[in-house]
Amino acid sequence: MNLIGARTLLGKEVRRFLRVPGQTVLQPLISTSLYFVVFGYTLGGRQAQVEGVPYVQYIVPGLVFLGVANNAFLNASSSFFITKIQGTIVDLLVAPLGATELLFGFISGAMVRGLLVGLLTWVVALFFTGAHLVNVFETALFLGLSAYVFSVLGLLAGIWAEKFEQINFFPTFLMLPLTFLGGVFYSVRGLPEPFRTISLFNPVVHMVEGLRAGMLGLEHSSPVGLALLVTLALAATALAWTMLRNGYRIKS
Amino acid sequence: MLGNGRDWWQVPRPVAPVLDVDSLMKAYPKQRALDGVSLTIEAGEIFALLGPNGAGKTTLIGAVCGLVRKTSGTVKVFGIDLDVDPVTPRYQMGLVPQEINFDPFFTVRESLRIQQGYFGVAPDLARIDELLEALALTSKADQPTRALSGGMKRRLLIAKALVHRPRLVFLDEPTAGVDVELRRDLWAYVRKLRAEGTTVVLTTHYLEEAEELADRVGIIDQGKLLLVEEKTALMKRLGERHVKVRFASKVAALPAALEGTLSTDGLSYAFVEQPAVGPRAAEVLQRIFSAGLPVADVSTGSAKLEDILLRVLKQGKAAT
Ligand SMILES: Nc1ncnc2c1ncn2[C@@H]1O[C@H](COP(=O)(O)OP(=O)(O)O)[C@@H](O)[C@H]1O
Ligand SMILES: [Mg+2]
Repeated sequence: MNLIGARTLLGKEVRRFLRVPGQTVLQPLISTSLYFVVFGYTLGGRQAQVEGVPYVQYIVPGLVFLGVANNAFLNASSSFFITKIQGTIVDLLVAPLGATELLFGFISGAMVRGLLVGLLTWVVALFFTGAHLVNVFETALFLGLSAYVFSVLGLLAGIWAEKFEQINFFPTFLMLPLTFLGGVFYSVRGLPEPFRTISLFNPVVHMVEGLRAGMLGLEHSSPVGLALLVTLALAATALAWTMLRNGYRIKS
Repeated sequence: MLGNGRDWWQVPRPVAPVLDVDSLMKAYPKQRALDGVSLTIEAGEIFALLGPNGAGKTTLIGAVCGLVRKTSGTVKVFGIDLDVDPVTPRYQMGLVPQEINFDPFFTVRESLRIQQGYFGVAPDLARIDELLEALALTSKADQPTRALSGGMKRRLLIAKALVHRPRLVFLDEPTAGVDVELRRDLWAYVRKLRAEGTTVVLTTHYLEEAEELADRVGIIDQGKLLLVEEKTALMKRLGERHVKVRFASKVAALPAALEGTLSTDGLSYAFVEQPAVGPRAAEVLQRIFSAGLPVADVSTGSAKLEDILLRVLKQGKAAT
């Protein structure tokens, strides 16, 4: 294991997005905060209650999740894709960095950005709703899992894509439906069948429910949901590792 | 006596060659970029790989450096089979790729530090400064890489390839787009690398570069290595000398049995020395003078590596 190499890649990834903080941190922070204002005050209304908490407060975990997931995904996918397009992938291939080091560098770099935006979103939310943190461990677990899973998915997209058109496909056609149908703004438990059952196959549902449980003490993160997320994380990691190992769409 | 006809004291120490490529094949859907290449490179030499565009030079280097997935064959670096362990040898290898790449987010110095880290090297700022100096990039050290000119970007690639002090360096057309003056400096630097024990494999379009630098030369075409030979031996074996003589007045005929050709107007004479066969240029000139021919001017020249390359390529084409 090339520890210095893996750490260098992580450091490079973090510095890369911090070079353009307006685009990588501020902009997502503003857009998630706007969701917060629009959905929390205008549509949901100040008075509405969901499961015994005001609606504004109810959507905080979902919005934090959006910040984490979108930014982890975008960072991994665009960074790897750009590395291929600008040819600097050669620097990585020539260096003694195996699939494990590459995975570590790109995933942890993306997780840092996802968690940074997610946590800042949370801080913004605190001004509107006050602080709520029921279970630190559960919250950290689901924040970490969400960041990890979406970083790996983003990396897979970045490895797979060969054109800008393909990389731009994901935010609109994958992330948007997955997150908006994932109970970010509502509880899937209250949906009529069959939508309720179908929703339970969406991993985002379990991430958001886990965060709601951890932050607000609402609902319960189900062991089945957690198992689903861990399985997804392992499967996606194995796939990404194999692709990197074999040089899929990286080596000619 | 040992089985191979050597006495025991003559058996060389079992030092693995720096690079050992055997029957390497790379097939793309439409053609074979490498068609059974076998090549051994020993420590401390400068090896020049020559061949026309599309011959397979970059593919060969790519297969060794982990950029190209080979179809078949084996590659061993420092005695380690890359199929068994593709990572360990890379700590000691460097590559200057043919295609320029740069990360516009970082400065020249940052790029070098990052590259050092990738190779598992703890930050060594002295090494970075030394390379910046050697490659005339010191004044650009803190500029973003996108602000560099083409030639500077290529020099940055060279610095990146050397930042971890590799024992084996591949230079794929390292001086393309670098101006003549700097090219000379670079050549001097490559010689310095060899003096420090670094093995250098380079491809180049400038045959002058190979002629200037190489200890050995390999000529490749259509994915096949046509020839591998010491440069001086090659130039001696295939390098012809030309003799041209201009006469002050028309010469009717050459002295009997003098090789070479007289022009139809009888005013000039040409001779090509073929090493190992036929007379030497000096002997021919001697005979012209002793025959009392009205010599006005004599010029001689030796073949360039370029001529040799063209001839080998032509023979290679004829053979297939
Ligand atoms: N990625 C690729 N896909 C298909 N053919 C390729 C690819 N890369 C190189 N080739 C072909 O392989 C041959 C050798 O190319 P290359 O090694 O780049 O030659 P050189 O470096 O000697 O100019 C060329 O005919 C080239 O078109
Ligand atoms: Mg080439």
